[in-house]
Amino acid sequence: MSGGYNEIHPEPTTFWSKYIISFDHKVIAKQFLWYGIAFLGIGGLMALLIRWTLAYPGEAFPVIGHLLFPNSAGIVPPDSYAMLFTMHGTIMIFYAITPILIGAFGNYCIPLMIGARDMAFPMLNMLSFWFAFLSGVVLLASLFLPLGAAAGGWTSYPTLSTMIGSPGAGQTLWCVAIFLFGVSSTMGAVNYVTTVITLRAPGMGYFDMPLTVWGLWLTAILNAIFVPVLGAGVILLTLDRVMGTTFFLAGASATSGSGDPVLFQHVFWIFGHPEVYILILPAWGIVSDLLSFFSRKPAFGAKATALSMTSVSVLSTIVYGHHMFTTQMSPLLTQSFMTLTMTISIPSAIFFANWLGTIWKGSIRFDSPMLFSLGVVFVFGLGGLTGLHLGTVTTDLYLHDTYFVVGHFHYTMAASVLLGGYAGIYFWFPKMFGRMMNETMAKIHFWGTMIPLNGIFFGMLMVGYGGMHRRIYNPFVYDSLKRLMPINEMITVSAILMGAFQIIFVINFLWSLYKGKKAPNNPWNVGTLEWTIPSPPVHHNYDVIPVVKCGPHEFGNPNLKTGRDFQYQTEELVQGPV
Amino acid sequence: MKRNELQNNLAMTVVLISAAMLFVTLFMGYAVYRSSADVWPPMGVAKVSLWLPFLSTILISVSSWYCYQVRLSVAKNDLPAAKNQLWLTTVLGIAFMLAQSGLWFSMKNSGVFVTSGIFASVMYGFTWIHAVHVVLGLFALGYLRWVLRKPAGDMLQKTINVEKFWHFLGVVWVVMFFGLFVF
Repeated sequence: MSGGYNEIHPEPTTFWSKYIISFDHKVIAKQFLWYGIAFLGIGGLMALLIRWTLAYPGEAFPVIGHLLFPNSAGIVPPDSYAMLFTMHGTIMIFYAITPILIGAFGNYCIPLMIGARDMAFPMLNMLSFWFAFLSGVVLLASLFLPLGAAAGGWTSYPTLSTMIGSPGAGQTLWCVAIFLFGVSSTMGAVNYVTTVITLRAPGMGYFDMPLTVWGLWLTAILNAIFVPVLGAGVILLTLDRVMGTTFFLAGASATSGSGDPVLFQHVFWIFGHPEVYILILPAWGIVSDLLSFFSRKPAFGAKATALSMTSVSVLSTIVYGHHMFTTQMSPLLTQSFMTLTMTISIPSAIFFANWLGTIWKGSIRFDSPMLFSLGVVFVFGLGGLTGLHLGTVTTDLYLHDTYFVVGHFHYTMAASVLLGGYAGIYFWFPKMFGRMMNETMAKIHFWGTMIPLNGIFFGMLMVGYGGMHRRIYNPFVYDSLKRLMPINEMITVSAILMGAFQIIFVINFLWSLYKGKKAPNNPWNVGTLEWTIPSPPVHHNYDVIPVVKCGPHEFGNPNLKTGRDFQYQTEELVQGPV
Repeated sequence: MKRNELQNNLAMTVVLISAAMLFVTLFMGYAVYRSSADVWPPMGVAKVSLWLPFLSTILISVSSWYCYQVRLSVAKNDLPAAKNQLWLTTVLGIAFMLAQSGLWFSMKNSGVFVTSGIFASVMYGFTWIHAVHVVLGLFALGYLRWVLRKPAGDMLQKTINVEKFWHFLGVVWVVMFFGLFVF
């Protein structure tokens, strides 16, 4: 494995080497960004199809329904509905959130924020994107198979995901796609971990790193350890489907010698619970930094925030059993997992309190990155609180597999990460593309996202609490669920509204790329290393590797005489008179 | 330690941790199957003969030893010796794969088909997954042969990385040998 030793690589000259197989972390970050946004659109459209079906069962999906489902007069048929929620979950988690939060921000921010010229292994970085691309192609190809794509849920539990529950090649391609994506994630993790440890600028200790880098680094560590666990699971599932093994088959479906379907659930959630934090840690890191930057105050308890994120990462590895309380787990185990789950509240509460401490009495600037960051504080708070119901055995037994679970994980994994992602895009867009995004449109986008988003996910909590099960094609055939129809309509209208407001983002993004106001080097007046260089940065980032002399959140120092209210990390910390 | 050495060592450590987690997951699954079975192998299924697994263990162990010798020779800048030892490492690796193929054929010939239930699933599935990694390891040995064609500054580091991966595969096989075949 050969790698960069922080030397200046020659600048690529051809279109192919500059944009397609580029080794430059900034280009790869943008590739991941386009990729993630494209899948966000596909996954979002699937969400609308699902929501339409739940609010208006038996009615044709407007405008494109007849095009998508010509054989059912534009109505989403039951088998396609199962396929849609499976692919929606898979796409949003692995192909939208992961590429944007980890692939795009990880690649863009880590080298720039630690003062490096590139990743430790630029070629591996390039391969990581193309493995992800290949994986996306395989997944999308499965949509065009005769029996359609995977339809066993994003968790792909056997027996639903075996040949008995999912005949056809869709589920097999799902396994192949996930495995390829896992290879890509592992490649990225190798790079991120190594880069952060070895390529930090001189003078930059671990606690001098921005919290964004902390979040991405911890994510990479979790990725390296737990993605292979899912890898093992999908390999065995593939062998069951293709070769006729019986790892996850039991009873009559295993003709000789019984496997264990529940084992897959263990394997899935040993990976799956850390995966929740794999997705949310980058957003936590970004928000922790942005709250400080736009409050013009040092991040309150920054070291404690970093250590709390680390504690959450460690604890996330030993709590997975709370996803399986209803699998006849022994009471001793359920209570152990419940207790461990509750302990996650402690570090979570610490950094949440630190967020509030950071904005407390700050000179808050309500620019779009700050608005989205405050949005994360709100939705993550709500998502975290509803997690307590599901981490407690007694309440989980009633709420398991209801829409309450869907609402909870959308608040934590979707809303928090989506808003955190938008905060990051609005914040780093000037550095990435050298132009500013339109702030008015950004603010309209924020409110147009934030209000309907709560309509959707709070509505889900309500119908879930009311007893509505997830994954039912038409819940209203049950009398007890008919009264929940108006709330479901409200959720769907909110979803349509939220989808419509994303068009404003797309227009703003594309318009700003070409027509946006030229960005200065440091439009937000913050002191982290990436803002000391031109927007966009030159190919090798830094002509001279910077020397770090203070932390990333030096704001409001009364002894500053520079006319600024912040210090760059390359400046000696200004001390008061002794 | 120079920065590039540190980078390479760290990266290889992360790769090995990831690969180890894959096999740990498989062994965890195996522990569940074994502990929940009344008898193992299940009733009516014969134990697999130890001969070919034992031969495989010898082959991969000796191959690992030669791989270690490659690194010592590279460290002493004795490239001709390193190339010879790498050749032996590779041949023994290929022999290991042949022994594995023999194992699969012998299981098939004795009526243990891949579709024969959970015991066969474990035997075939786990050895296949390990074998795929061995094939990757053989490619890595081929790459190392290319690296050793002429002296270069980072030759030792690359040798160490390939050596670590090859030893890792040996260790995984030894755990499989005792876990799946002996006990």
